Amino acid sequence: MKLATIGVGNAGSKIIDRMLEFEDKTGRSLCRHVLVINSARTDLAKPDYVPEDRRILIGDTHKKAKGHGVGGDVEVGAEVAKHDIDEIRRAFDDVEIHEVDAIIVAAGLGGGTGSGAGPVVIEELQKMYDEPVYGLGILPGEYEGGRPALNAARSLQSFVQKVDNFIAFDNDAWRSRGQTIEEGYEQMNRELAVRIVTLLAAGEIDETDVAENAMDSSDIMRTLDTDGVSSIGYASTTISNDADDGLLNRFREDEKPVGDATDAAKIKGLVRRAVNSRLTIPCEVTSADRALIILSGPSELISRKGIESARQWLENEADTVDILAGDDPRPNASELSAVVLLSNVTETPRVDEIQSQAVDAQDKIAELEAAREEEINELITDEDDELDPVV
Amino acid sequence: MKLALIGVGHAGSRIVDRALERELETGRDLCNGNVLVFDTAADAFDDITHVPSDCQVRFGDIHPDVDADGVGGDPDLGVTVAREDVQELRRAFDAVDFNDVDGLLLVAGLGGGTGGGAGAVLLEELQAICDKPIYALGVLPEADEPDRCALTASRALQSFVEIADNVICFDNDAWRSTVSYTDTAESEADRPYDELDRTVVSHVLTAFGASESAAMTTAAENRIDASDITRTLETGGVSSIGRATLELDRSDDGRSWLPSWLPLPSWLEGDAVDGPADAAEVKRLVRRAIDSQLTLPCAVDSTYRVLVVLSGPPTAVSRKGFESARYWLEQETGTVEVLAGDEPRPDASTLTATVLLSTVTDVPRIDALQERGRTAAEAADESESGDAEFVW
Repeated sequence: MKLATIGVGNAGSKIIDRMLEFEDKTGRSLCRHVLVINSARTDLAKPDYVPEDRRILIGDTHKKAKGHGVGGDVEVGAEVAKHDIDEIRRAFDDVEIHEVDAIIVAAGLGGGTGSGAGPVVIEELQKMYDEPVYGLGILPGEYEGGRPALNAARSLQSFVQKVDNFIAFDNDAWRSRGQTIEEGYEQMNRELAVRIVTLLAAGEIDETDVAENAMDSSDIMRTLDTDGVSSIGYASTTISNDADDGLLNRFREDEKPVGDATDAAKIKGLVRRAVNSRLTIPCEVTSADRALIILSGPSELISRKGIESARQWLENEADTVDILAGDDPRPNASELSAVVLLSNVTETPRVDEIQSQAVDAQDKIAELEAAREEEINELITDEDDELDPVV
Repeated sequence: MKLALIGVGHAGSRIVDRALERELETGRDLCNGNVLVFDTAADAFDDITHVPSDCQVRFGDIHPDVDADGVGGDPDLGVTVAREDVQELRRAFDAVDFNDVDGLLLVAGLGGGTGGGAGAVLLEELQAICDKPIYALGVLPEADEPDRCALTASRALQSFVEIADNVICFDNDAWRSTVSYTDTAESEADRPYDELDRTVVSHVLTAFGASESAAMTTAAENRIDASDITRTLETGGVSSIGRATLELDRSDDGRSWLPSWLPLPSWLEGDAVDGPADAAEVKRLVRRAIDSQLTLPCAVDSTYRVLVVLSGPPTAVSRKGFESARYWLEQETGTVEVLAGDEPRPDASTLTATVLLSTVTDVPRIDALQERGRTAAEAADESESGDAEFVW
């Protein structure tokens, strides 16, 4: 698939940057056009792989932003994007849209810029183009608190309504001990980038090695065409490059040449591991509407039988017959990986949690706001209000 | 966030001067040279060393009631002379480039006649000419200062809160006990102030100057930007800043007899760590910042919005620690509006947590101040009705 990729806000921009990095390292060519949009000037300087002229600062004339971000306020985020919509639109002028199959908009939903400006950008893209627009949204973790949960719960509604599919990523599912903040987010962004790129780049570079079950863009787009929320599972295994041992022996854990049956079992095992591993958003697999399996790696390692048995396994597991499975031959890959897209999953406990945290936060905010003026006034005046202000 | 610093009265001017000194010491540029000090007394700027002399403005000195000591602690006289000299004050603002800063901070002792009285007038003027947020830093009078200072402060606080976008308060009394008087003659009145001024200045600089440090050579994950600070403070009222520091050097803490692979028994866990400070350590640091080291002691759960900045080497802040500190603050303060940021200073040997509690509404110290103020007001009324003029 050929993509136009847009990162909105700090988290969204970082994801796009990591996607470009992963593409670069694995010789893929997915993102044909790239753009990052942010309301904070300093954050726009961060990406390593996004060209300088593909970075847009919005809200630099807005009273509450002025190039310094929107202070985590989703309303201000939406406002500045609406205000600067012409500038955003102009940035698409040089995008040859016939060269791309779809547009992806990545954003963090807990902050202000991604959550607020993201849906505004998407709305504009939907007006401008017929190509599908996918959202890639990072949901805040529980410990990020009530305000991010509220931003996310509200933004999620706008995103899902406006996109053709929303691929969700749950921060909480990816926390681990002992990481510094830098490492923590960096690792998450890389994990997400690997999944997205492996999924969407399937069937892109392949002149030499024609696959039997090659996946192409239309299959992926068909699976994504559900208007819902999706989750991605992923697993990979390193291939030992001991060429003398023959092709079938290139799984690292193998010691003897193995037969076709064992190979098929491995493929199935890998797919199973992908679904049972950390999904980008934990969900009830049976609630998926459609699914897609892609095996990516040297084609000699991917047997048709393996793919078929993996597909059957997932059909059972997800309780849907709408499952596509195929391979993405990568002759020089050092890993064999399986990526599974679960499209339109409707049972995602994390989304429910965020919504309930958001409701509590909204109540709390309203309650405090109602009392604020009076409490300030009570504080600054004495008990019987006898003392006068100096001016 | 870049803030122009405006000092009013003796205490305000002194603190602004200290702030400039501290900017130089720490490489944290808050005001970009946008600074002004105002006073009414003749010798007002004698001990000012860092504010350039063309940024020192004396006013009101032609008023008959103003003598060499200025307005003599009378806030109403402070207001009167500031209004009379308003053209001159406005002209003085030309020295400040409002486009060069994200906001202004007016610093004043609330118990003084110039700080509390003229300070309020200056706030009005600033609000009229500048569309950036105008904050105030108000120093509350101490318990051993006369009750009339408490009266002035109570009245000035009302005006400051009314006019400024937010008023950060500093309570000298709360900090007295932490300042060491050793080696300094107690008669030398200015010495303890020096320490107190440094305290308030370092709190203000790390809170407002987050992300303005020259030592911040790598990009922050969650950078505290001007909009974050502005949003936190936009609820107005009175605010307090807490700050605590954790030494990261573990070399000579007396625990080196333990093999490094051995987990530390809990009774040996001090506040000194190397490697990423874990969740419990970061939380403890943040707790320390708001438990005992607030510029204005207050009921933490009366806060409306919170901003927390963790500043130190990026390797020292664990993601879990960062998140749990933020979450803990949300629980503790009872507000969901908690913004958190990091300030990576790769070469730093300390981890500092700075917490801005915006719009605190339960402040016993202010209630006590008003009580003293009322006593003073009643005394003044009595002496007036007794035909004697109230002497400031």
